[in-house]
Amino acid sequence: MGLTGLEIYKQLPKKNCGECGTPTCLAFAMALAAGKGALDSCPYVSDAARDALASASAPPIKSIKFGNGSTLGDETVLFRHDKTFYHPTTVLIQVSDTLKDADLATKVKQINDLEFDRVGLHYGVDGIAVVEESGDPARFAQAVKVVADNTEKSLLLLSDNVAALQAAAPAVAAKKPLLGNATEGNYEAVVALAKELALPVILKADGLDALNDLVEKAQALGYKEFVLDPGSRKPVQTLANLTQLRRQAIKKKFRPFGYPVVAFTSKNEPMDEIAEASIYVTKYASAIVLKADKKGLLLPLLTLRTNIYTDPQKPIQVEPTLHSVGDINENSLVYVTTNFSLTYYSVEGEVEASKIPSYILPIDTDGTSVLTAYAAGKFEPEKIADALLNCGVADKVNHKNVIIPGYVAVISGKLQEKTGWKVIVGPRESSGIVSFVRSLTNG
Amino acid sequence: MIIIGERINGMFKDIGEALRNKDPKPFQHWAVKQEEGGAHYLDVNSGPAVPTDERPEAYKWMVNVLQEVSKLPLCLDSTNYDAIQAGLELCQRPALINSVPAERAKIERVFPMAVQFNASVIGLTMDKKGIPKDAENRVAFAMELVAAADEFGLNMEDLFIDPLILPVNVAQEHAPEVLESLRQVKMLANPAPRTVLGLSNVSQKSPDRHLINRTYLAMAMAVGLDAAIMDANDDDLVDVAATGQILLNKSIYADSYLKVFRAH
Repeated sequence: MGLTGLEIYKQLPKKNCGECGTPTCLAFAMALAAGKGALDSCPYVSDAARDALASASAPPIKSIKFGNGSTLGDETVLFRHDKTFYHPTTVLIQVSDTLKDADLATKVKQINDLEFDRVGLHYGVDGIAVVEESGDPARFAQAVKVVADNTEKSLLLLSDNVAALQAAAPAVAAKKPLLGNATEGNYEAVVALAKELALPVILKADGLDALNDLVEKAQALGYKEFVLDPGSRKPVQTLANLTQLRRQAIKKKFRPFGYPVVAFTSKNEPMDEIAEASIYVTKYASAIVLKADKKGLLLPLLTLRTNIYTDPQKPIQVEPTLHSVGDINENSLVYVTTNFSLTYYSVEGEVEASKIPSYILPIDTDGTSVLTAYAAGKFEPEKIADALLNCGVADKVNHKNVIIPGYVAVISGKLQEKTGWKVIVGPRESSGIVSFVRSLTNG
Repeated sequence: MIIIGERINGMFKDIGEALRNKDPKPFQHWAVKQEEGGAHYLDVNSGPAVPTDERPEAYKWMVNVLQEVSKLPLCLDSTNYDAIQAGLELCQRPALINSVPAERAKIERVFPMAVQFNASVIGLTMDKKGIPKDAENRVAFAMELVAAADEFGLNMEDLFIDPLILPVNVAQEHAPEVLESLRQVKMLANPAPRTVLGLSNVSQKSPDRHLINRTYLAMAMAVGLDAAIMDANDDDLVDVAATGQILLNKSIYADSYLKVFRAH
């Protein structure tokens, strides 16, 4: 991302001395913006200005990596339809160091099992946040060790106590945990520890102004691997903070806020907590720390995360395998369509409305609609025949009838020849399915 | 696409005469008619119809008679800044000042006035020496206006850069330079200043004026034109503005988009 002429001009000394070979600073700024000159030809530009210009051309939100493949930040838009959100929110479940070792190990194993397979996708919780509540650095270090020994997931070590972090972090540094919290009171020691171990660190302050001050002070220590926590634990305030942090970083290139943000849930009732976490997933939290650890609570949250972080520019596809609608039996009808989700779900909805248990076979057309796929040679009788014969539906029904979309009636002869199945041309629009099958079953 | 209706200008015979006779009817007729055509602003220019020292009074009178019948904001078009100030004092909606060249003395007069009255400013990419021929020098003038907006605290979105299109029959080589200027002006600041053209100028004294106007409008929109002072009652031209909005993904498509565009 290039700098605008105005941004460069504001950093120049405005002497209009001409020593750079350009008559005015304004003209020099424009030459730089157009890539026609070098900043070094101005002898009066300050180091601060040089830094400001260098960092202004960096990405708006820094990418922070930690643990087992967790990537935070590196986002470029406020609304996913403008481009896409790139790095799905990292979800961490918190455990307390006040639990006994055995209980801790059991709980960590439960968290390890929070993995799901759904509609052809696999997703799970990304990490565990070990929270220091014991007040005892040695206990915290032991708890962290137990957790680290029992999981491959990413770790967050959370304490405001420098001694606790110093006791726990070195032993697990190889797992590259995220450290927290560096606050107004302890930031020098915590940032120094993070820097020494090369770990990213959470900067926590109460409110955006205080956070801005803390970031600038922490940066002055010569370290930049930060994750921000604007302090509030009230959902409405957290939402406002998350929005401001993202907006200032992207729209205004406000460098102190050019880091990913972590959010903590505050609600104790599990359903409320998941609703709260859903807000943070949709509104810019790069990581969330939760108490909820039940499968039934996490599945909807992780599904939402998958949906929000889907690339809107790519067509959404359903799995090109045999799907069934209703209580299927050996007499069920067999429909063929494409795997574009909009097409597939239009068909599925109408088949459901027909109240006749049926099979639907979406052909893999790279997520394109019936006519698009047909025009692009992705919905050919040969390909449909292969899918139909390989999907195993022949063993499940006692007939050999397949219904195809009305718009591709022209392929019916060839498809019949290739498969030996009787090809029935359905209606052109899926909205005609209900009356179509009624006439089919009555006739 | 912001359409600034050009018709209320003393250079037109009916407006010039009406201004001399203090007859509000032609003013109000064109205010309503241009709004129906799709205008978002009404340009107001006394032309040479009244002597310079009477212009502040003339602008006050015009602003008042127009605001009686129209809710559209006004684009006060004059080189007489006393007249513009007199008009601004009466404007009920944030106005547009048309215009200021990249000359320091005029910038110092106009920009603080714009900030005071919450008005926008059209900045011309020229100085005392005239209109530059190439894009590079037009953009250099635009940069001076951008830096001035920053200096005087004018929102960048309230600065409209006009890279000055000239008639294609006598200054043909300017047309592509103006397109290039529009493209580059958008990169001077973030948020970028907006852009405007006195569109009808491109076809002065040419046959097929309407065709030239609408072709150039489409080309200019593609490289970042935000507004045009133009004939709001040339339906084909307004159709091009509406269609451009759709093709640039600035307005959400609907089959009735031509109607929707005029309803706003």
